[in-house]
Amino acid sequence: MCARNSIYTTPKPCKHLADYKLRHGFNTYYSIRNCLKTTPNGRTRVAKHTTKIPRCSFCDRYQGRLYFCLMCSSLWCPTHILLHTQSEKGHEVAIDMNRSELYCCLCCDQVYDPDFDKVVVCNQVKDLPGGSKSKTNGFEACGERSSKRKRLDSGIGLDLKKSKLLVSMRDRRAKSCYPLGLRGLNNLGSTCFMNSVLQALLHAPPLRNYFLNDRHNSIQCRKRSGEKLCLLCDIDAISSAMFSGDRTPYTPAHFLYSWWQHSSNLASYEEQDAHEFFISVLDGIHEMESKIRNSGKDDGDCQCIAHRAFSGLLRSDVTCISCGFTSTTYDPCVDISLNMDTSNLSSSNANKPIKPDEKTGASTLSGCLNLFTRAERLGSDQKLHCQNCQELRDSSKQLSIRRLPLVLCLHIKRVEHSLVRKISRKINQYMQFPFSLDMTPYLSSSIVRSKFGNRIFTFEYDNSNSSAAYEIFAVIAHSGMLESGHYVTYLRLKNQWYKCDDAWISEVDEGIVRASQCYMLFYVQKLLYNEAIEDSSFVHISPRRDPFDSTAGCS
Amino acid sequence: MSGPNEDNNTQLSSHIFGDLLDSIIVDVASECHRIAKLGLDRNLEEEEEEMRLSAQARARVADPSNSSETNTKYVVDIFGQTHPSVATEIFECMNCGRSIAAGRFAPHLEKCMGKGRKARLKVTRSSTAAQNRYSRGSPVSTYSPYSNSTSTNRLSNGTPSVAGEEYSNGTYEEPWNKT
Repeated sequence: MCARNSIYTTPKPCKHLADYKLRHGFNTYYSIRNCLKTTPNGRTRVAKHTTKIPRCSFCDRYQGRLYFCLMCSSLWCPTHILLHTQSEKGHEVAIDMNRSELYCCLCCDQVYDPDFDKVVVCNQVKDLPGGSKSKTNGFEACGERSSKRKRLDSGIGLDLKKSKLLVSMRDRRAKSCYPLGLRGLNNLGSTCFMNSVLQALLHAPPLRNYFLNDRHNSIQCRKRSGEKLCLLCDIDAISSAMFSGDRTPYTPAHFLYSWWQHSSNLASYEEQDAHEFFISVLDGIHEMESKIRNSGKDDGDCQCIAHRAFSGLLRSDVTCISCGFTSTTYDPCVDISLNMDTSNLSSSNANKPIKPDEKTGASTLSGCLNLFTRAERLGSDQKLHCQNCQELRDSSKQLSIRRLPLVLCLHIKRVEHSLVRKISRKINQYMQFPFSLDMTPYLSSSIVRSKFGNRIFTFEYDNSNSSAAYEIFAVIAHSGMLESGHYVTYLRLKNQWYKCDDAWISEVDEGIVRASQCYMLFYVQKLLYNEAIEDSSFVHISPRRDPFDSTAGCS
Repeated sequence: MSGPNEDNNTQLSSHIFGDLLDSIIVDVASECHRIAKLGLDRNLEEEEEEMRLSAQARARVADPSNSSETNTKYVVDIFGQTHPSVATEIFECMNCGRSIAAGRFAPHLEKCMGKGRKARLKVTRSSTAAQNRYSRGSPVSTYSPYSNSTSTNRLSNGTPSVAGEEYSNGTYEEPWNKT
C-alpha cells in the first residue's frame, strides 16, 4: 500500500495530486525551483517576488498564510484559494509559501510527494554555504552511497549460535533454577559503587560472552606481558567466579588492588562515583589490550572489548546563525551523559528542600535525550569563527548519534550546583525510563533530516536496519545523599529482574525497577538481547572462533 | 487600517500578535502533520505504554499499604543465604600478607598501599580529560568530551567543587545551575 522503509512511510497521494502528477510530471516542480529560497536555519520558502509584497489575488491580503498555485503562480490566501480552484480546472495543487509544503485545495489538506521533496532538498543543498561538493554544509551529498558507511555500522550479525558447547554445571550449590552468573559481591568497605558497576559489566552480553568464551587467556597474558597486574585478568577471574555455580558472595579483593594501582588518583577508602569508576575500568581494559596488541588506534576503530561493546560515535554540528554554514565533527564516546530535563524547580527558595509532590512536569529519558540532541544557541560570549563569513558569529550547536554502540550506557547527571552558594546537591527527582528503547529519533540521520524539514529523501547514511532498537538489561540506582549514599544494581536475566545489593541477591518485580531512582542505564541492542535470553542457559566455548569475526568488514 | 480610534495602537499590536501566534500555530501543525503522515512518530503507542507502566509502578511503590520491598531488611536471599552487614570472609592481603576480613579490606589496603589523602593531590585523569575535550584522538581515549565524569558530577563524593560545563542548558536566573 504505502512504500515503507524503516524510517518513514511515503504516504499515498490523494487523487488530485496523483492526477496532477500524471498530467504534468515534475515540470512545474523544476520550474519553481528558482523561486525556492533557503534560509540559514534550513527552512525553505517560496520567494518569487523579491520586490513586491506577495498578496492574495482576490482580497489583496498579505498577512498570514499564502498559497502559490503550481500551475499559474498566482497567490491566494486560505479563504480564497478554493475560488481559484473552482474557476480554473487543473489548478488544484498549491504550495504553502512559508513552509514549502504541498497543499491540495480540494482535499483541504497538506499532501506529500517524494519528487517535490527531492527538489526542495537539492535546492537546500545548493543554497546553503558550502554547496553540494563540500561535506560540511550539514549533510553529505545527496543520494551517494559509501562503502565506509557499512564498515562503520555496528555489527549486529554477531553469530553467537555457532559452535556452542554445552558445559554442565556440577556444583551442587548451583541452584540451577536461577540463571548462571547471578552471584553477590562482598562490600569491601564503601565499595558498593564498584560492585554495582561490576554486576552490570559482567552481564553485558558482549562482555559476558567475551569472558565465557575465554577470549582473554590469563596464562598467556601473564607470559606475554610479564606483568602481574592486568585488569582484564582480574575481571576474567570475577567472571569465572560468578559463572562457576557457587552462589556464596564473591570477594573482588584482587580486582580492587589492581584497579587502585591503575587509577591511583581514585585509590582511597571513601564512597566514590559509579560512573567515574565505570569510565576508569573501560580505560584500564583499553590500555591493557592496547599494550597486548601494540596498537595505538584511536577509539573509533579500537578493537578492545571495552570499545567493541561500548564505543559509539557522536556527531556535532555547529551552525552559523548568520549564513547557515555548518561545520561537522565526530567524536567517539563510550557512554552518554544526560542532563535531566526538569524545568528549574528551585525558583525562589533555594534554601528550602523541595518535596517530590511540589514538582511540576515529570522527567523522562526521552525528554533527556531530546535535550541532549536539541539545537542549542550558544551564548554571545561563545562566538565561533565561521569559515564562510570569515569572522566571529553567533552559532548554534546540535549533537546527534552517528553510530550507536552495541551496549548503550546512559548516565543521568543528578548533580546540580548553586552558583550563588557554591555547593552541590543531588537531584532526587524521579525519571521515567522505558525497558524497550528506540534510539532512532536521536540518530544523526534523524536529526539532520528534521533540520531540513523531514523531507522524503534518502540521505547518504540512512541506517535502514533495526539496530536502533534496544532492550534494557541493567539499572544502577542510587539512594541517599550526595556525600553518602548507596548503589544497587537491578539485573534483568531471562525476563526476571534481580536486585544485586552487594552480597544480597533478591528477586524483584519489574515495577520496583521502574519506580527506582536510576543513575546509570544499560541497554543492549535488541538482537543481542534476544540471543542472550536464549543462550543464557548454556556456556559457549569456542576456542578458535572469535565471536566478533563475522562483523569485520561486512559489506 | 488607519481608523481614528484612541486605542489604535493597542488594536494594532494585538492584531500583529494574533498574526504571529497564528503563524506559529500553523507552523507547528504543519510540522506535526508531516511527522504523522510519514510515520516518524510510530513509536508513540509503545512510549505511552511504557509511561503508563512506570506511573503504575510508582503508584504501587508509594502506596503505604504495600510492603516496601526496598526498605525491608534482608532476612534471606534467593539462594537461602544470610550475610552479615560487614563481610567476614578472611583472606590474605596481596600487598602485605596479613589476614584481613573482606568488609574491612578497603580501609586496610588504603593504608597498606599508602594511598588515600596523598593521592588526591595528583592531577586526576578526569581533569586531564576536561582539558583534552576539544582535541581528538587524545591518549586519554575513553574520556569522551560528552561523558562528563569530572568530579563535579560525582555522587557520593567527598569533595564537591564548582566547575565549568561545556554544554549547559543554562537559564541563569535561578541560583541552581544544572551540570
